[in-house]
Amino acid sequence: MVYIIRLILFVSIFLMSSCSQGQNEKDSQLALIKTTNPNPTVTEENKGQDNAEKIEKEVESFDEIYDVAVVKGKKDTLVVYKVKHMHRFNMKKVEKDLNKILEKKYPKENFTVSSDYKVFLEAVRLVERKNNGKLSDKKAEKRFNEIVKMTSDMK
Amino acid sequence: MASKQKNMTPQQQKYQQLQQKHELKRPVLKNCIKAFWVGGLICVVGQAISYFYIYFFNFTEQSVGNPTVATMVFLSMLLTGFGVYDRLGQYAGAGSAVPVTGFGNAVISAAIEHRTEGFVLGVGGNMFKLAGSVILFGVFSAFVVALIKTLLGMWGVL
Repeated sequence: MVYIIRLILFVSIFLMSSCSQGQNEKDSQLALIKTTNPNPTVTEENKGQDNAEKIEKEVESFDEIYDVAVVKGKKDTLVVYKVKHMHRFNMKKVEKDLNKILEKKYPKENFTVSSDYKVFLEAVRLVERKNNGKLSDKKAEKRFNEIVKMTSDMK
Repeated sequence: MASKQKNMTPQQQKYQQLQQKHELKRPVLKNCIKAFWVGGLICVVGQAISYFYIYFFNFTEQSVGNPTVATMVFLSMLLTGFGVYDRLGQYAGAGSAVPVTGFGNAVISAAIEHRTEGFVLGVGGNMFKLAGSVILFGVFSAFVVALIKTLLGMWGVL
């Protein structure tokens, strides 16, 4: 039993020390465990930024949702969100309602909606790299399409 | 139970009463608490491993279950081999047996126990003695659930 307690202590100290390094660096590093709410982003600059902001506000108004990332590409709009813990039993219903409302309010947009953590993480990474200027419009669009494909493959 | 007591001689009944008086009571609540926190801790480790796979590899929330389960079973197999999991099992009981790590423990502990009987008939023949039933009922119940889901899907309920 002493060994186990030592092991638990060692692992927790290791985890705590590794979590505290470079705290201000990136949102995506802790995107899975904390609320990030990244700014809505468009892969092509100056095209549809207003619309993306409106969509984000619309999604945030859902009571069941607490963290939203919206990325707008040339053809598709990626909406990724996290669902509050006790509402995770109704994930399918939340997705259905969200799809319904978004398609009704923005009939011209082609939405890809997901609540998967991996898609959320990749969307936050994309937003970060785009905002830091590490990705050109073309590369951002390519990566965006890969994320959309990954999302549609899951369904 | 009552008929059993009727068949007993007065001396046996007296002995039974004496034995019941001295019998140690099982600390059920204490055992439950131990099982709860150790089982919960194992689940936290599992969650951390699945986040690790999501973060560093190309696994989605749907597909991350497979590598996580494989890793947890592998870790519990190693810990069983080192003799750590046995102690954990003695302390936590169901808390260490019910999670998927208990499966790895059941496989390896049976293999270790029967290694003196030879590699094929001993280890090979007895490795899945306990874990075999877990696989059988797991596969069968998965089949039944899949069948129900398919039928409900065909009828338009789901």
